[in-house]
Amino acid sequence: MEVGQMQRRLVDYTKSLFMEGFLDAQFLQLQQLQDESNPDFVVEVVSLFFDDSEKLLNDLTMALDQPSVDFKKVDAHVHQLKGSSSSIGAQRVKNACIAFRSFCEEQNIDATLRCLQQVKQEYYLVKNKLETMLRLEQQIVAAGGSIPMIELGF
Amino acid sequence: MLIIQTKSLFLFHLYISQLWLLFFNTMNPSNGNGSMSTASSSGAWDGRDQFPAGLRVLVVDDDPTCLMIFEKMLKACLYQVTKCNKAETALSVLREHKNEFDIVISDVHMPDMDGFELLKHITSEMDLPVILISADARKQVVMEGVTYGACDYLIKPVRIETLKNIWQHVVRKKARNTV
Repeated sequence: MEVGQMQRRLVDYTKSLFMEGFLDAQFLQLQQLQDESNPDFVVEVVSLFFDDSEKLLNDLTMALDQPSVDFKKVDAHVHQLKGSSSSIGAQRVKNACIAFRSFCEEQNIDATLRCLQQVKQEYYLVKNKLETMLRLEQQIVAAGGSIPMIELGF
Repeated sequence: MLIIQTKSLFLFHLYISQLWLLFFNTMNPSNGNGSMSTASSSGAWDGRDQFPAGLRVLVVDDDPTCLMIFEKMLKACLYQVTKCNKAETALSVLREHKNEFDIVISDVHMPDMDGFELLKHITSEMDLPVILISADARKQVVMEGVTYGACDYLIKPVRIETLKNIWQHVVRKKARNTV
């Protein structure tokens, strides 16, 4: 596939992530921060988000698996995931965290378990999408092309 | 409709402000560089012409993703950035390097010492403006932060445009102190 085609594919794919609500405007902020002095910024920060989120999801699973659930601890983990997902622009993960927190406040064990599943699902979805997007970018750069900046007006 | 500043325009503005900074650096070689604040021993603003470039910021957040993003954004604002992932560390840094920071930005919810406690220590021991940041937008939490002396309370996700304006808190505090 030649570079122009790859670039068009990347633009369409990235746009679809915004249209489907996986990413929001905050992600564009990150892309704009990337420059020649730090050309891997987005990859680095996204990788950090993946590592950190996986730890948080493990902690959440363990915390909800206790005979007596410490909802304050659960809430603290969800709060952190909400903060990092919103800072990255992972909108659907953030929204799942918002719902999760309200059930933590109610100390509703069944609902919080369902929320955990929901958050995990959204997380793995966006992880998959971002990895695909970053792979496309790598292929373009490897072929000598540049990453097109997308302009959104909808 | 989503309106985005194009990357080229953003870079253009950044380039011009960097050129400006370079120009003044060659004229006033006394200003320091680097991420650890060892700038001016007098602790005061040397390069008033470059301001707010070179603003010495300490940012505290236990979340590594947020901390990395803040650092990048603050550097893109041409500030001198020191980052900490623990409030206790931040407090020791501030105590050991008095007068080497202009402003502190801290997350609220952190294990061990949280942003409120850090804020209370800073307001009682030092004369630094503190901005609190959180994903928690509940009014009572924001109220608490402001009541305890935070000069601002920002809700995550924070945009770079907001960070570009934080120098106003430094100026405002200095102006109040001199009255």
